[in-house]
Amino acid sequence: MKPDQAKKPEQSQLVRPTLLELLIVFLKIGVFSFGGGTRPMMHRETVENRPWLSEKDFLAGFAIAQVLPGANPVNLAMYIGLRARGAMGAAIAVFTMIAPAFCIIMAMGFAYQGLTGYPATHFVLAGVAGAGVSATLATGIKVTRNLDRNWMTAIIGLGVFVAVGIFHISMVPVVIVAIPASIATAWYLDRETRRG
Amino acid sequence: MDDNRYIGLIAVFAPLSILSFGGGQAIVADMQHQTVDVWNWLTGAQFNDLYAISRAAPGPATLIAALIGYHVAGFLGSIVACLAIYIPSSVLVYYAASWWQKHPESRLKRSFERGLGPVAVGLLFAGALAIIESSPMTIVTVLNLFVCTAILYFTKFSPYKMVGVVALTFYALHTVGFGFA
Repeated sequence: MKPDQAKKPEQSQLVRPTLLELLIVFLKIGVFSFGGGTRPMMHRETVENRPWLSEKDFLAGFAIAQVLPGANPVNLAMYIGLRARGAMGAAIAVFTMIAPAFCIIMAMGFAYQGLTGYPATHFVLAGVAGAGVSATLATGIKVTRNLDRNWMTAIIGLGVFVAVGIFHISMVPVVIVAIPASIATAWYLDRETRRG
Repeated sequence: MDDNRYIGLIAVFAPLSILSFGGGQAIVADMQHQTVDVWNWLTGAQFNDLYAISRAAPGPATLIAALIGYHVAGFLGSIVACLAIYIPSSVLVYYAASWWQKHPESRLKRSFERGLGPVAVGLLFAGALAIIESSPMTIVTVLNLFVCTAILYFTKFSPYKMVGVVALTFYALHTVGFGFA
């Protein structure tokens, strides 16, 4: 166990923050977590430094944030706000965390409009888009290696890629078919592995 | 006229919000298809430029919605697009969070977690393909793709630093005479 384990609050020691405290902390997270590292920062601010959430609740929230649709850090902020102060807390946490990044991306959008006449702009952005795609590819390869190895999983993954990526079929019908099929497969495999 | 644009932004982004499994990267392919081919708001090249900006900017990848919203209907458009991309998924998380807590460990939850994996992977690669397809293919851009992917896969180099390094490299290349022409 890590030495900082003692700092993590028990259920009975939890404190309910005011909405203003929630606003200040998430604004801080929104401003200082640029370039990633949102999750460790949220953990430090709401579990270690302030006893707003138990370790168990934080981990549950992290799991929900990953599984459900939506940007993971935004989902996690929503969950923490909800646990700490209900609906109002959730709204404040999400809004204050997105606001700084929104301002920056809008400023970059304005700069782009001013620079769009220069050929260099589009050349540099093509490079940046390539780096962005590379990050997606690297993540995709890593996640693929962690998937269950069986025919159904391969067919579903490949099928979704071909339908959306190559045939440009709208995501709604593809996902409506693929997700239940995939969950059913995982459900079936779960029983198989349990017996084995 | 303008009202139609706001409704269009909501019609495009609200469904994508519910479908963004694993975050914004999963919906890039459909977002490009909708905004370029279906609604004709952007050219493929413009979409790629906005995608690049969203990858260079801090914050979630879904903030590309703000850039598209601004392009379509000005500042109010960016707000409408943001609300459309964040509210549906947030409402879902809001209700699912309470259910999730009441059912700590079940076969259904395990199946749900594992079952979304292959779908998310298919969508990730579809998004990557969508951007690659509308990128200009030159020796420099193809090399960039392979080198960046290899570095990000095999090392722990931060994707944000990668974006910075690539931007500077491409600017330098352009200055010394490399470019699309």
